[in-house]
Amino acid sequence: MTPTHNQPPSEDPIRPHEYDGIQEYDKRLPNWWLVTFYATIIFWVGYWFYYERAQLGLSGPAAVEAELSQIEAAKLASAPAVDDASLWKMSRNPVFVDAGRATYASTCASCHADKLSGGIGPNLVDHLWIHGGTPTEIYNTVSNGVLVKGMPAWGPVLGGKKVAETVAFILSHHKEGDPIEKQEAWTPPSS
Amino acid sequence: MPATKTTIEYNDKIVRQFIYATLIWGAVGMLAGVLIASQLNFWQLNFQTSWLSFGRLRPLHTNAVIFAFVGNMMFAGIYYSTQRLVKARLASDFLSNLHFWGWQAIIVAAAVTLPLGLTRGKEYAELIWPINVAVALIWVVFAVNFFWTLARRNEPSLYVAIWFYIATIITVAMLYIVNHLSIPTSLLHSYPIFSGVQDALVQWWYGHNAVAFFLTTPILGIMYYFVPKAAERPVYSYRLSIVHFWSLVFIYIWAGPHHLLNTALPGWLQTLGMTFSLMLWAPSWGGMLNGLLTLRGAWHKLRTDPVLKFFAAGVTFYGMATFEGPLLSIKSVNALAHYTDWIIGHVHAGALGWNGFMAAGMVYWLLPRLWNKPLYSTSLANVHFWLGTVGILLYVAAMWTSGITQGVMLGATTENGTVLAYPSFLDTLNAIKPMMLMRVIGGGLYLVGWFLLAYNFYRTVKGASTVNGTVEVYRDEPTPADSRLGFFGTFFNAPTLFCVVGIGFACLWMLGNGLLSMVGIVGSLACFVAGYALVHTRAKAWGDWHEKLLLNALPFTILTFIAVVVGGLIQIVPTVVAQKAQNVEDRLQVTYSPLELAGRDIYVREGCYTCHSQMIRTLVPDVLRYGDYSRLGESIYDHPYQWGSKRTGPDLARVGGKYPNVWHLRHMEDPRAISPGSIMPAYPWLSTQNTDIASLPSKLKVQRMLGVPYPAQSAQEIFDQAQAQAKTIAQDLRAAGAYVAPEKEIIALIAYLQHLGKFEEVAPKQTAAR
Repeated sequence: MTPTHNQPPSEDPIRPHEYDGIQEYDKRLPNWWLVTFYATIIFWVGYWFYYERAQLGLSGPAAVEAELSQIEAAKLASAPAVDDASLWKMSRNPVFVDAGRATYASTCASCHADKLSGGIGPNLVDHLWIHGGTPTEIYNTVSNGVLVKGMPAWGPVLGGKKVAETVAFILSHHKEGDPIEKQEAWTPPSS
Repeated sequence: MPATKTTIEYNDKIVRQFIYATLIWGAVGMLAGVLIASQLNFWQLNFQTSWLSFGRLRPLHTNAVIFAFVGNMMFAGIYYSTQRLVKARLASDFLSNLHFWGWQAIIVAAAVTLPLGLTRGKEYAELIWPINVAVALIWVVFAVNFFWTLARRNEPSLYVAIWFYIATIITVAMLYIVNHLSIPTSLLHSYPIFSGVQDALVQWWYGHNAVAFFLTTPILGIMYYFVPKAAERPVYSYRLSIVHFWSLVFIYIWAGPHHLLNTALPGWLQTLGMTFSLMLWAPSWGGMLNGLLTLRGAWHKLRTDPVLKFFAAGVTFYGMATFEGPLLSIKSVNALAHYTDWIIGHVHAGALGWNGFMAAGMVYWLLPRLWNKPLYSTSLANVHFWLGTVGILLYVAAMWTSGITQGVMLGATTENGTVLAYPSFLDTLNAIKPMMLMRVIGGGLYLVGWFLLAYNFYRTVKGASTVNGTVEVYRDEPTPADSRLGFFGTFFNAPTLFCVVGIGFACLWMLGNGLLSMVGIVGSLACFVAGYALVHTRAKAWGDWHEKLLLNALPFTILTFIAVVVGGLIQIVPTVVAQKAQNVEDRLQVTYSPLELAGRDIYVREGCYTCHSQMIRTLVPDVLRYGDYSRLGESIYDHPYQWGSKRTGPDLARVGGKYPNVWHLRHMEDPRAISPGSIMPAYPWLSTQNTDIASLPSKLKVQRMLGVPYPAQSAQEIFDQAQAQAKTIAQDLRAAGAYVAPEKEIIALIAYLQHLGKFEEVAPKQTAAR
């Protein structure tokens, strides 16, 4: 930027002019400061070339799409066994039920109430089921949601394992062979 | 003609007035900050009262600190130092008084309107349009007063502090006017003319550079005057002043898009934002170096002089914050830190450390000089310094910890990275609650320190007699003819031409296609080589030219304006002139129904954007948590855009249809009934107040004017449509056991929330033109 090698470095030249008594040295720019500045400029050139000119790097949407397909593949490869028999078995296993209880408390209780007795969403301990009461049907309801009724799809958020645990926790309040009756709609208790 | 000797008395009365205002508004702004920080810990402090709720008070805090506190401090410092640096009294006492009282009236108007929920819904640009007009007018008064004073100066050459003041005045005017362009729908309400991505880009061009040209450049100018004065040492390096001034004002403007990294903003703008933020590191540190190294030879005074303590710490915090800024602009760091408390910690290192401490140092230095009496208590000032320092460190450390903790938790995945480890947002919020409490303590300590300054001030000026500075000057000295630069001398000289042509070629390389790009590469290289060769042989001539430029205020101002305008032109113009249809990627937002638009205005009024974003970034954790990443077209009709900048609560871009209507009703009435542990305020007034349907026809008219494809409807048709939709929602709520009259505001808000995320697929078109 400015000539630095013409002046003896030991000298502190002070500028002749002063402003309201304020004087100014005219010291050289520190080398480390200059190097920092030049390095960031070079980085800009390289980064722009890599991502924008040559497009060697993936754009934001392309990168996230690629990662998401990998996640989907991993999920498909490791999907948990979802059938009535294994879900009933899980519902009698305290490891699964305790894990499911924790997920239920943080995710489901706000609508279905702490004791599963229903609130904004329906009661889960009676024999009335709106979207089917077999373990697999319950699993599908939790996982895919019923968007028109306001039930979110929890599968993508919680993952298959946590959904299965939660279903096991719900099933732990029921017995295999309990009656399943069809209910048309849920009316929340008015407040 | 012989030179006559005259004595000039400075207008220091206006400086004293601005200092009073600084102390008062500083206390108000910081008090508001401590209150809203406490509300995040204790939701009860929202008092179930609309005008005391977080969403309305947070804009009050930010506006008070930026425009009231730092604004008044800046005016005091600029008016005091400018008069002395140019050896002239402020040009007009009338304009000075108009400036002072006009600015205070604006602050009072802001303090009344913001709690009432009158807002434009854009950060640091919330004030409603009549106040915007007043701000612009008073800023012009300030500018006229300042440049008129320069025109009457008895000191031909402009000192570096004046350069920064000039950059401040012209750039803030440009930023403020463009970002506040809006069309009124009534006396108190307007819609910004930009929408969606355009509004986001303009907003952060403004927001980022409000930090640059309202909170940084004027304070740098103040540093260049008061630090050498207090230290009684020469400024470290004049040539560093030149290099860091020009590089700072040029580069700063480009860095705005770093507030929008990983969003739907076109990639090339994100790349510009990130790389220019990194390039800003050295120019910022140039200012820090010149401040700190000016203290060489005066370090021993730091032990005894509180003024120098505040200045040294303030400049150090400036260096810290301007290192952190580029760091946070790196896309991968930003992916973690954006929307979290880390950003809050970053801005407070700047606001409390740099602005607050520079203000305190300046006031302690000015007190004895403007009131002709020694400071009441130096030890009290020292206590203030240590309380403030400990307060800042607690605050910043708490926010770093909080931001990184929550950022890591939000991004954590499990089961081979396929699902979120903490799917409940509340889990991540609960983890940072202790840190949010520590912030209140840190901020509280800082506020106590400020009260000590106020007390010290009161005891010093009590019974003191004010004194105005004077200077003897020789009038009627003829200006040497060879000091004039003129049009040709301003533009047609090697330094200016090298900058203009070099930057032009670099832009061609970046943004041009094919042949243009090649020309850009060759031209940039040629400029670089020639410039490098010449700078060593022509240094003297180039230096002389800059010295001459300093004798010419108008050419200096024009060159500064050109330097700050380039970045904005290149980033904003292509995005704004591109047809909206080209800006949509593959999705187009479904327009809001009249009732939903009314609900959206309630969302804006309550300041929901201060805690909730509406922008799902192109990042896996965001997509896993909130759904498919947001596309440009999905907010294309949003005047103003509501992408947000902070997630104290979860993102809402796709919340529509996720929960039943009654969930939203119960949640707004009492968030903790639905989400135990939530810190969101309750909004009981939404269930008692009626929706403002009457204003919808004029609002829809303005929306149509702005290009939102609403059909031409009569007022009655609009009312009927809104009422029909409200009735449907009320009936749905009744079926769920909740009785709310259809005309209540909560119905409109639910209608809006349930609309969020609605789009139609469109054939993929070209994204924003380069």
